[in-house]
Amino acid sequence: MDSPLFCDHCRSLYPAEGLNHFELLGFPPAFDIDLAALRQKYLQVSHGVHPDHHGDSADSATSLRLSAQLNEAHRVLADPVLRAEYLLELSGGPAASSDKSVLDGVLAIALTLREEIGDAQAAQDRAALAACATRVRQLHETTLHQIGELARQLPGDPEVRRQLRATLNSIKYYQKLLGEL
Amino acid sequence: MTDEIIVGIDLGTTFSLVAYVDEAGPHIIRDEHGDGRLPSVIGITPGAEGTKPQVTIGWPAREHAVENARTTVYSVKRLIGKGWEDIRRDLPFLSYAVASGPRDTLQVEIEGRRYTPEEISATILRALHDRAEKHLGRPVRKAVITVPAYFDDAQRQATRAAGAAAGLEVVRIVNEPTAAALAYGIGLRTKPPSHTTVTTEPGRVSLPTPACATTSAGPETQAAPGETVAVYDLGGGTFDISILRLEADVFQVLSTAGDTHLGGDDFDYAIVQLVTQEVHDQFGVSITAPSTKQALRSLAEAVKIRLSEQTQADIELDLGRGRAYRRTITRDEFEKLIAPLVERTRSSCEQALRDAKLTPADLAQAILVGGSTRIPLVRRRVGEIFGRAPYTALNPDEVVAIGAAIQASILSGRQPDMLLLDVTPLSLGIETMGGAMGKLIMRNATIPCRATEKFTTFVDGQTAIKFNVLQGERELAADCRSLGEFILDGLPPMPAGMPKIEVEFLIDANGILNVSATELRSGKQAGIQIIPNHGLTRDEVQRITRASIEFAQTDIDAHRRIDLRNQVEFDTHKTEQMLAKVGHLLDPQERARIESDIANLRKFAQETDNLDELYRALTAFGHSTLHLAEVGIREALVQRDKTP
Repeated sequence: MDSPLFCDHCRSLYPAEGLNHFELLGFPPAFDIDLAALRQKYLQVSHGVHPDHHGDSADSATSLRLSAQLNEAHRVLADPVLRAEYLLELSGGPAASSDKSVLDGVLAIALTLREEIGDAQAAQDRAALAACATRVRQLHETTLHQIGELARQLPGDPEVRRQLRATLNSIKYYQKLLGEL
Repeated sequence: MTDEIIVGIDLGTTFSLVAYVDEAGPHIIRDEHGDGRLPSVIGITPGAEGTKPQVTIGWPAREHAVENARTTVYSVKRLIGKGWEDIRRDLPFLSYAVASGPRDTLQVEIEGRRYTPEEISATILRALHDRAEKHLGRPVRKAVITVPAYFDDAQRQATRAAGAAAGLEVVRIVNEPTAAALAYGIGLRTKPPSHTTVTTEPGRVSLPTPACATTSAGPETQAAPGETVAVYDLGGGTFDISILRLEADVFQVLSTAGDTHLGGDDFDYAIVQLVTQEVHDQFGVSITAPSTKQALRSLAEAVKIRLSEQTQADIELDLGRGRAYRRTITRDEFEKLIAPLVERTRSSCEQALRDAKLTPADLAQAILVGGSTRIPLVRRRVGEIFGRAPYTALNPDEVVAIGAAIQASILSGRQPDMLLLDVTPLSLGIETMGGAMGKLIMRNATIPCRATEKFTTFVDGQTAIKFNVLQGERELAADCRSLGEFILDGLPPMPAGMPKIEVEFLIDANGILNVSATELRSGKQAGIQIIPNHGLTRDEVQRITRASIEFAQTDIDAHRRIDLRNQVEFDTHKTEQMLAKVGHLLDPQERARIESDIANLRKFAQETDNLDELYRALTAFGHSTLHLAEVGIREALVQRDKTP
C-alpha cells in the first residue's frame, strides 16, 4: 500500500511524529492537489491505522495518535485556505500571530457589508440580503483565487510570503461574513 | 484465541437491548416472550438494617411502578453525566427523589440511600450481560455500548463507568445514529461481495459472512458508488441528527447535531401537564403523590402511543372519594401540545446540513430511528425538513442494537474491510483570560483528533497551573459545559514564564477526551490532576467498579471470577482442539510452548485470587496463540476450497 505508517504484511504501525501533512499522505508539498486522489489515499491509510483495527494490540496507542494526525492532515489539505496557510508555515511564515496586515480596502469593505447585511436582516429584505450574499461570495472567490496564485509561488521571496499572509488574513473577514449569511 | 464474542448494547432511556453477530448475521437476544426490549426500569426495595436491597429489573419493575412509585427508577439516562440545573424542568414529573451529588452530579435517593446514575445504569447493563451469557452459553466480557451522538464527554465517561461497574469491558462507545446507519447500510447493501449472503426482507438486516483473516485488507480502490443519508433519531429521552456518507466499505459521519434532553418523555410530560392543570381547575386537586404521578405518567405514555394509531384517545383518572377525571384527547390536540418540541429538532437538522455543506436535495434518504418517530407529526415534520418521505423500514426499537453488534464485529476483526469514521459532536476548548471560550478542536472534527496548547506560569515560584476545559459552541466560557478543572502540578519553582508545559487534548474513537502534559524543557511527562464536573472521579469509578450496587443477587467479584475461569476453560479448550487439528503445521517448539501455556494458564486460574492479573494472563494467552488461530483459519479455508 506504500504508506510510511504501517507494514503492508504484518500491519504493525510506525510512529510518524516528525512527518508533515503532505508526507503523511504521500503528496508533494504543492498548492494544487487532486482532491479525489487525496480522499482515496486518506481512506486507504486510515483503514490501515484506525483504532477499530488495532484495539487490542500493543499498537493501540500508536493507532490512536496516527489516526488523529491523519485526520488533521486530511482536514488541512482538503481545504484550500488551510492548505495555503500550511504551505506558508512550511515555507517559514510569517505566522498570523506575528503579521496581522490585510489587503488594502478589505476592512472598509467588510465593515460596509456587515452594516448592509445587518440592515437587510433587520428589515427582512430578502432581495437585499441575496445581493449582499452574492457580493460576499464574489469577494471570497476572488481572494481565494489570489491565495492560489501566491501559494503556487511558494517558498518564493519574502515579499510573496508577506503578500500571501495578508491575503489569508483578508479572507477570514469574508469567511466570517459568509457564516453570518 | 480471538473468536471471543463482543456484544452490542443499546442502553436506552426507555428500553435497552443486547445483540451480537455470528456467521449468520446479527441477532437481537430476546426474552422468553420473544421481546428484545428490556425496560430501562429498576425497582429497589431496601432490605432490613444491614442486609442488601432487593432489586427487580425490566418488565416486572415497570409493571409495579405505580405501587412502588418512590422506589422505581426509570429514564435514568436523562440524569447520567448531568447536573442539577440540567434536569430542573423534569423534577416535577419524576416520582422518585433526585438529590444533588458532589461536583454537580445527580443521585437517585431511595429510602435514605443514594445511588449514582452510573450504578442504576450498571444494573440494567448487568441484566443484559446475564441475558447474553445465558443465550450464548459462554462468558461475555466485552461490549460496545451506544450513546446519543450529542452526548458530551461527561455523559460518555459515565456510560463507560456504568459498563465497567456491570463487569463489562466497554471496548467502544458508539453513537446511536451511526450504529443505525451501519445496520441500514450493511443490511441494504445493493452489491454484496461475491461470497456473502444478504437477506432482503424489509426491516431485517444481515451481514456478509466474515471475510477470512488472511486476505489483505483495504478499501476498494475504485471510486465507490455511495449515498449520503440523514439519520433522524428521536428516542425516549434524546434527539440526534447525523449526516453520513455511505460507500462500499467506508461509513463516514459528516456532521451531527442534537439535544440530549428531548424525546418521548417530554411528549408524555406535555400530556401530564395538561391533565394536571385540568384536574386542578375542575377539582381543586394538586397531583403530588408519587403513585398518582407515576400512574399519570404511564397513562400519558399509553395515550401518546394510542394517538399514533388512532385519531383520539380517552383519558380516565380516578382521584379517589368518588371523583373521576375524564376527557377525550384528539390527535390534533396532542399535536398542538408537542409541536413546539418537535419544532426544536428542525434547527438541529438545519445545522447538521450546513455543517456537512449539503442541502436536503443531496440526500438519498432521511432514515427514522427511535420509538418517537412513530408519531405521525414527527414523520410529517421530517418530511418537510428534508423534502422527501422519510425511510421507515427499519425497526426503530432494534436497529441501534443491531448496529452496535455490527460495530462489535468490526472491532473483533470479523470485518477487516470496514472503515467507520465518526465525529465529535461539540467543540472543545479552554477558558481564556476574560472568560472566553478558546476553541482547540471544532465540532464535527473526525475522531480520533488532537490539539495541543502551551501553558506557563505567571508568578515566580508558581508550582501549579489550573485551567478549565470546556465543550460547547457559545462564545463565553460560562455558557459552555465545563468538563472540570485540570491542574498541572509538581512544577519545579522557577521564575514566571520559564516552565513550558505542552498539554495534549486527544479525543479518542469513543469521543472521550484524554489529556496528557509534557514539560518541554525536560521532555518529561508532567503531572495532571482532573477534577471532573458532572462526573465521577477516578477513585469513585474504581469504587463502583469494584462494588457496584451491593445487591443481593449480584456479587461482581464472584461473578467476574466465574466469568474469567469459564473463559479460561473455553479458550484453553478451543486452543487444544485447534492444536489437535493443525498442530502439525506448527514449528515443534511453538507447539510445545502453547501446550505449556495452556497448562500454566489453567493452573493459574485455579490458584489466583487476583482477577486483574488473571485477566491479563488471559489476554496474554490470546496474543500468544494468535499465530495458531491464523494457521487454523488458513487451513480451514484451504480445506473449504478443496471441497467442491
